[in-house]
Amino acid sequence: MAHEDHDAIYDLLAARGVSRRDFLAYCGSIAALLGLSEAYVPQIAAAVNRGARLKPAIWLNGGACTGCTEAIAQADSPDVATIVLEILSLDFIETLSMAQGEDALAAAEAVFEEPGYILIYEGSVMKGFDGNALRIGGITGLEELEHAAPNAAAIVAVGSCAVDGGFVMARPNPADATGVSMYLQEKGIDTPVVNLPTCPVNPEWVVAILVDVLLLGTLETGAILDKLDRHGRPKYIFGQTIHDNCPRRGHFENGNFVYEFGTEQEALGYCLYPVGCKGPQTYTNCPIVRWNRRASWCVEAGSPCIGCGSLDWVDVGAPFLNRHRDLPLPEVGNTQPNTIAGVVAGIAAAGLAVHAVGMKATGRTSGGAPYEEMKERDKKRMKKGGGE
Amino acid sequence: MAHPAHYREAHPFIFVMTHWINLVSIVALTISGFYIHYPFLPGLMSVMRGMHFFFMFVLLINLAVRIIGAFTVKSATRLGTREVDTDIKNWLPQKLNRGQMWPWLKYYLFLKKEHPIGAKYGVLQKIAYLFTIPLTLAAAYTGFAIWGPTMDWGFLIAGTDAVGGPMAMRIIHYYIMWGFILFTAIHIYLANIEGTDPSKLIFKWEETEGLQFDAEGRVVGGKGH
Ligand code: HEM
Ligand code: HEM
Ligand code: SF4
Ligand code: SF4
Repeated sequence: MAHEDHDAIYDLLAARGVSRRDFLAYCGSIAALLGLSEAYVPQIAAAVNRGARLKPAIWLNGGACTGCTEAIAQADSPDVATIVLEILSLDFIETLSMAQGEDALAAAEAVFEEPGYILIYEGSVMKGFDGNALRIGGITGLEELEHAAPNAAAIVAVGSCAVDGGFVMARPNPADATGVSMYLQEKGIDTPVVNLPTCPVNPEWVVAILVDVLLLGTLETGAILDKLDRHGRPKYIFGQTIHDNCPRRGHFENGNFVYEFGTEQEALGYCLYPVGCKGPQTYTNCPIVRWNRRASWCVEAGSPCIGCGSLDWVDVGAPFLNRHRDLPLPEVGNTQPNTIAGVVAGIAAAGLAVHAVGMKATGRTSGGAPYEEMKERDKKRMKKGGGE
Repeated sequence: MAHPAHYREAHPFIFVMTHWINLVSIVALTISGFYIHYPFLPGLMSVMRGMHFFFMFVLLINLAVRIIGAFTVKSATRLGTREVDTDIKNWLPQKLNRGQMWPWLKYYLFLKKEHPIGAKYGVLQKIAYLFTIPLTLAAAYTGFAIWGPTMDWGFLIAGTDAVGGPMAMRIIHYYIMWGFILFTAIHIYLANIEGTDPSKLIFKWEETEGLQFDAEGRVVGGKGH
């Protein structure tokens, strides 16, 4: 039986141009991502194969750009991850199923009836405008989420928007966007949420989590929750900084920097720290897992990391080509921290200079003024009391 | 004209040393800090970071030594005297400081002509020096919160989350540096504007003659009386 299943999946993969070897290599990288040894590869391959018969998964979209859907779907040439995701029984992807209209919604509804499905949520939760910033099938996005969340076995919040509101909640946040876990907490819904930030989400991570949750059974045993950090992010993905694993780190240590784009230093692939690389403050394993079928990733492609895997990432990282973020000063507007420091220091220096002129003018610069005979308050007391 | 005598008892040698170490550490941390903030010259990052990570421990150990010294070493209790008592007494409000905050402020704002009576340190001076302790601890806390080996310690992470992440922590650390720069600028200015005798003592441990005071803060003799 199991053997037939294996054949089935390899046929399916072969039909899409993925060889058995590619698939096993892919399962190997999932194992590595999950911190498992090579010995787990057959188990993962078998689990992916059985996948379709496990929990159904539903993909809903909140307020976002659908970039995460795009990253997963990669419509023109699906990669192993895409195919695996398909096999893993994604019953309904809201954006992609929309053309089917009412039928698709009815199919999703059928899944919602039956507790125990996995809910993948892309996009922010927009609380503003009474939730009317997003309407699907006649209800608000908020109603949809509140409807879908309680019966789910777990929610995977994909992309920074779903994690904490992402770019949608950047100042001034007109839609009052927030993340799934924050919203559910507000509503007292306690379905566990696995957060997978970055903008968009990396498909490899979604596969890894689905394998972990659906196939290795870590949800049932509760083991998945131990693998999450305090922000609900899997530690094995978000446990180290970009900077820790960056291939340009040697240039950083040696002080080989790109100070300006279009220079020789850029061509030499030097470290992007002075042009605002947020790698030192950003906790993701982008340099290891990489992007776009493991082809490359931001820094390798020559762009400083803009920190899209951080919480509140836009406000915390912008302007992206500066080392420090801007601080929003009331009345003044966005200001760089060193501008503020410079102004304060300038005022202080001017103050000291003026004071020094005063000290000189009052003749205090050679030994100070003569000392008072007694403290002022003792003098006053003596006056009042007419003596000691 | 009327400066107090500066005797070695005011700054026993151990405190001359801690002050020197403090000065060198702060300068090294500020230079390397500016470099880490923005590497203005190519080629020096590992040197600068190494310097930063070395002197941050020197600074903290030095602070610990200074605090232990406060309880174990005797130093002069006021200006212009060789009478000594446990050093910590100089850091708590002393009899001679009482009611003198306002006169000191007025003196520096040119609203009072005469030099207010003070103990070894005047009220404002005492507050400013003591302020360097929380400032150093804040530099350490924010620094360790962005230092690889310690950044995931629970009590540091709690702070990092509270301020809004590691970028915010870095900016706070950066502003603490500016806190040190402002303190040091004002400190250097005030320490030397009325003459360099205090500096001769704290740096070269060199005594200078001048006015002597009694326990009530009255001038009782010495050069210039
Ligand atoms: C006392 C303990 C201190 C510790 C543990 C500490 C630690 C650190 C660490 C770990 C970094 C980041 C280095 C990197 O990521 O490459 C840093 C950066 C920095 N430090 Fe310190 N430091 C301390 C004190 C100071 C002091 C006293 C100053 C200045 C007076 C200072 C100024 C700076 C500055 C300006 C930066 C650059 C921040 C940025 O722009 O990102 N630090 N420090
Ligand atoms: C060129 C730089 C500096 C000069 C000229 C200077 C000068 C002095 C002088 C003259 C005193 C003795 C004051 C008195 O006896 O009335 C003193 C004490 C002190 N200075 Fe500085 N200082 C410098 C740098 C620093 C720095 C960078 C710090 C710390 C950030 C610092 C912290 C202190 C403290 C805490 C004391 C109290 C002395 C003690 O430990 O008992 N100084 N300084
Ligand atoms: S490019 Fe960015 S992540 Fe890479 S070493 Fe430089 S600062 Fe660190
Ligand atoms: S390298 Fe930085 S900007 Fe690029 S995807 Fe990763 S976290 Fe986002």
